[in-house]
Amino acid sequence: MNNNMNTSLFVACQQCDALYDKPQLKQGQLAKCNRCGSTLVERKVDSIERSFHWSLAGLILMLPAILLPIMGVTLAGQFHQASLFDCILVLIDRGFFMIACLVFLFAIAVPIVRLSGALYICYCFKFNRLKPSLLSFFRAYHHLDHWAMLNVFMLGIVVSMYKLLDDTELSINLGLLAFILWLICSTMSAAALDQDSIWDKLERAFPRSCDNEHC
Amino acid sequence: MNTAKSKGLTLCPKCHKLNTLVSEHQRCSRCHGMFYQRKRNSLQYTLAWNIAALIAFIPANLYPIMIVYQLGVGSDATILSGIGEFIDHGLYPIAVIIFTASIIVPLLKIIGLFVLVYKAHTGIRLKPDKHSKFYHVLEFLGPWSMLDVFVVALMVTVVELGFVTSVAAGPAINYFTITVIFTMFAANSFDPRLLWDKKAAIQETLLSEKTPGTLPEGKG
Repeated sequence: MNNNMNTSLFVACQQCDALYDKPQLKQGQLAKCNRCGSTLVERKVDSIERSFHWSLAGLILMLPAILLPIMGVTLAGQFHQASLFDCILVLIDRGFFMIACLVFLFAIAVPIVRLSGALYICYCFKFNRLKPSLLSFFRAYHHLDHWAMLNVFMLGIVVSMYKLLDDTELSINLGLLAFILWLICSTMSAAALDQDSIWDKLERAFPRSCDNEHC
Repeated sequence: MNTAKSKGLTLCPKCHKLNTLVSEHQRCSRCHGMFYQRKRNSLQYTLAWNIAALIAFIPANLYPIMIVYQLGVGSDATILSGIGEFIDHGLYPIAVIIFTASIIVPLLKIIGLFVLVYKAHTGIRLKPDKHSKFYHVLEFLGPWSMLDVFVVALMVTVVELGFVTSVAAGPAINYFTITVIFTMFAANSFDPRLLWDKKAAIQETLLSEKTPGTLPEGKG
């Protein structure tokens, strides 16, 4: 085995470890693994621009989505409405710390961190301000991939609305609209971000400085 | 089929860069992250998280998950009795969604991961293509079991009308979240490449045992 083999000429499937020559793709094309059918590499169209704008929109929508009341109920003449932020406060007030933490983490904190992370990365690429710290930053960004649960929370809203509709008078507020738009923005900004090309560019900008470090 | 492992290469799990294998525990030349060729002790970790999730799933079903107070009188509901109430009220779609998200999906994940670990370890009737697809389904389904937790959180917040009606979360909610999070950890620590490695190892031993005239039909 030639030790100086150029590893950038090959790609390996992340799911089954099969080795292929690196395909030359045009924008919008993707290559799939022959053996297990998962995506090998993908070049997304206009990745940086699109992701930048989606995440910017997402960050703007974040405030109304969190602070505006999502829905309210009227029962026996009393009216009460709640926003996502109230949700956390009420849960803490009544001593359900664990769910308060979870809702805060999965429905507020992780999506915000992901959106601002995507925005920062796209900003650096758009205006050519690459720094070596982006390497660790983007690596850390991948850790959060599984933990954004806005879509699950959305289904939770739908289910509880359906539930409340049965025996109370339900009113829907602007918060719900903002929340749906926020969900769309954060999904799209994550989907538009082209990881392969970003890593390629980062590699070219910061060629390995630590050849002998891994021992 | 060439694999990166057989060529002395190894793939960084974070940035998907191929590296030449230097040592078991090495640093990626692109993102400078530390990683292993395969997830380390993958099957053991999966099994451990899985058992913990299974244990937490028992109190999650026995204790009440939601307590509804109407005029000061509380009535509590477990996950299953809550679903029963939906059926009584004729809300079938919700009953199906909740049943899928809070009973079927966690159980399917736990049992499915046990089966995958067993197959990857023993290699009995191992079909890596089907099993790795199954693994992806399990991985995708993970977060959706959090549905019940979010529903309860929303109900507690929205239905807060003082003495008339209020909703409180029961102790089961904590166990249930633990179950869901542990199954997600279990799924994350499983490495589907082990399935393919095992299959290749089995085929190799078969090939070396049999005479060239009676080759078993090879895959890929």
